[in-house]
Amino acid sequence: MSTSEDPGKEAQDQGQHSRPTARASPLSEVFGPVVTGPYPLSPADPSRLGARTPVHSRDRCEGSGECVRVCPTEAITVEGRGEEVTFQLDYGRCIFCRRCVDVCPTGALTASPQFELATLQRDDLRLMHSRKREVAPSPPPSQLWEETRQRVSRLFGGSLAVREVDAGSCNGCEVEVSALTWPAYDSERLGIHFVASPRHADALLVTGPVTANMRLALEKTYRATPAPKFVLAVGACGISGGPFRGSPEILGGVGSVVPVQVFVPGCPPRPEALLYGFWLALGKLEQKLHRKGLEVPAGASRGGRPSSGETPKSGPEHGSTDAP
Amino acid sequence: MISPPTSVPPTTAEPTVEERDERKWVQAHSTTPPTREGTRGVWKVEVPPSQWHISQIQLSQLLHHRLSTLWAEIVPAGTTRLHGLWLGKGPCAGVLVSTELLEGEARVTTLLPHVPSALYFEREVREMFGVEFAEAPDTRPLLLHLSHPAPPFRAPASPNPQDPVSYTFLPTEGEGLYEIPVGPVHAGIIEPGQFRFQVLGEQILNLEVRLGFTHKGTERLFENRTPAQGLPLAESVSGDSSVAGAMAYLEAVEPVLGIRPSEGTQRARGLLLEAERVAFLLGDVSGISMDVGYAAGAAQANVLRQEAYSWLESLTGSRLGRSTLSVGGLYRPLPARALEGLSLRARALSDATRELLEHLDERSSVVDRIHDTGQISREVARNLALVGPVARASGIDGDVRRDRPYGPYREVDVRVALRSAGDVEARLQVKGAEILEACRLVEKFLDGGALDVPRSPETSDPLASGEGMGIVEAPRGELVVAVRLGKDSRVLRVHFRDPSYLNWPAIEYAVRGNIVPDFPLCNKSLNLSYSGFDR
Ligand code: SF4
Ligand code: SF4
Repeated sequence: MSTSEDPGKEAQDQGQHSRPTARASPLSEVFGPVVTGPYPLSPADPSRLGARTPVHSRDRCEGSGECVRVCPTEAITVEGRGEEVTFQLDYGRCIFCRRCVDVCPTGALTASPQFELATLQRDDLRLMHSRKREVAPSPPPSQLWEETRQRVSRLFGGSLAVREVDAGSCNGCEVEVSALTWPAYDSERLGIHFVASPRHADALLVTGPVTANMRLALEKTYRATPAPKFVLAVGACGISGGPFRGSPEILGGVGSVVPVQVFVPGCPPRPEALLYGFWLALGKLEQKLHRKGLEVPAGASRGGRPSSGETPKSGPEHGSTDAP
Repeated sequence: MISPPTSVPPTTAEPTVEERDERKWVQAHSTTPPTREGTRGVWKVEVPPSQWHISQIQLSQLLHHRLSTLWAEIVPAGTTRLHGLWLGKGPCAGVLVSTELLEGEARVTTLLPHVPSALYFEREVREMFGVEFAEAPDTRPLLLHLSHPAPPFRAPASPNPQDPVSYTFLPTEGEGLYEIPVGPVHAGIIEPGQFRFQVLGEQILNLEVRLGFTHKGTERLFENRTPAQGLPLAESVSGDSSVAGAMAYLEAVEPVLGIRPSEGTQRARGLLLEAERVAFLLGDVSGISMDVGYAAGAAQANVLRQEAYSWLESLTGSRLGRSTLSVGGLYRPLPARALEGLSLRARALSDATRELLEHLDERSSVVDRIHDTGQISREVARNLALVGPVARASGIDGDVRRDRPYGPYREVDVRVALRSAGDVEARLQVKGAEILEACRLVEKFLDGGALDVPRSPETSDPLASGEGMGIVEAPRGELVVAVRLGKDSRVLRVHFRDPSYLNWPAIEYAVRGNIVPDFPLCNKSLNLSYSGFDR
């Protein structure tokens, strides 16, 4: 059994555990080739992504309302029928279950692998489709928005230290957040790394619906993070309370406790979706090699700037809440 | 001669001594004719409140059953029903002890100290339902950190953020002793909880865990939903193993609704359950490797883990297999493209995992850290009624898939890995072996026949009501879900007993006498669910 290339090490092993050691295989035999995906520096291959995101076609919607009845999170509202229909879908509440897609009688709802859904404003996650009247064109981003975004980009563009806070998640989001550190995503290649203390952090990534029991801890963690800082609310829970909306034990989203600058929908958001959220916050979308990777489902135009919806009231420091 | 209860299924094999003792005990103790309806073959025994503790202490001490779960529910007119599920070894059916407490008389005697694993259950039932456990040694709140106007299951209301409940960690005194408070926000990307260490020098004398931070009132959210509407919640009780959560919930509701999923459906579910187990347990291999400071091993485990998640993604559209299992079937059939070549990929992943495990076993820097670390003796494991890979690493032989086969596991033989050392190394070995076994089961389910899944699940009786129970082997171990459906098939009560609910106390034992820097390693090797505990 003893064919170790390093007899010294083996002797040590034997001494401590009196167990036989097999040969020490060189790492190259065990570890394979580079597995890190290209995203976000080049597009993700949509054929390898699960199609989970409900996208809506304005032209096909007849307003049956079947989707409203099956949606477990009240993410959809439909008013009127036929030519008069107004359809709204809130990606901040959606858990990407595709029940609405399964029941849509006219095929207006389909499932897409689209994951670049993160926005800088809560309102931008609300898709509104109306046959009759066109949705108002998105107002240009306010001056304050642009300035802050440039500042974030200038300050943190090189490297970003992130502290993750689980404010009552189901641990599904944590699987995907920690996947950023796996070789497949390796967020450190982009300068995004996770730190052990809020005092070392530039940004807080917060998951979960913020339980009553985590409120104080989240507030304290926010205060312990030195300015300048920004907050990402991650997952349906972090944005709106997700599947737990309506429980008296939760506050219903990170924005109800601390100001949020980036909203990353999903249940959980896949790692690429999280990378997109960071990229958006860092103002790096311009650097992306691809501009038209996948279909953009929400009515809003994107490309790293806040678009449709209301003009932000107080710029990026204005957190959004989603009262249950 | 006592005639046997009518609902007993005919037994083919000669009953064992344990089975006969169990049956005798059941017949002697129930105030109503014992039945096995709606409880997956478990005997139902109704006792008066005065017998609640005595009967269960007997089950523990005479029959050597273990407490699997204990929950309460409110039935009309303010009456509280208490249930304790006791499961035995081998072919024993198990016993569900129930009692009814009239309003204003919500009081029984504690099972402690005779049944140590009853502690958390009793604390939870006390704070959530206002049931008093006379002579209870510890009445501190468990999941609630803020005061509520009334026990939440009696009168739902928001907690008062200005009024925290009083909670004191058990004090320790002595010269040179110091405390390390940790949490609730931890250093890693993990769930929140509070740990209080009492330390002498480098040695941990005592650890106390305080949980409840992720309490979301999930069980109450089920109320009044249809069984199908409950699924997203069932998947988010412990959301890192959502397929198992959905399966346990469906095992409980489907029989009440009179639904029997087809064999093809069950095979498809089995495939997803085992794929999830592979992905989940590889996370533990990665975590252990990381916490001994061997980043290369962790990276490789995560490469393999990504592969397992990509199976789930191509099969279900969701990397975590979310929104896939439906009442009676699957929401959508597994795509043929995803099934193609999956057998070979399972074989390859199994080989690569074996290679990684051997590689870790060859590294003295790894073995030195995990050998003898975080020991949980067989005795402690039995007293705490631990479940899952953690129990199997301490020599407790049990796996629901083999012992009480359900759904897909009626078709396959599950080989159970067992170790006796009870240290981190043993847990790594058990979990490693379970990954290989899960890969083998993936192949089995793929080869077992068609994975046909009716797109629109069987229609069920919309008026079905009654109680049901699901007992499954989640990646963390035995998961028990109890449900009661009302007249219109809507959910009246759901109780989730996550495997970690039983396993959490194990960490307090595992770290005793270990050095503080080994705590994360012990923790990772146990991989306890916070959300599953807190709900
Ligand atoms: S996919 Fe989203 S919008 Fe559609 S039913 Fe599910 S939660 Fe509702
Ligand atoms: S968003 Fe979904 S995955 Fe994330 S914590 Fe909430 S329920 Fe879990």
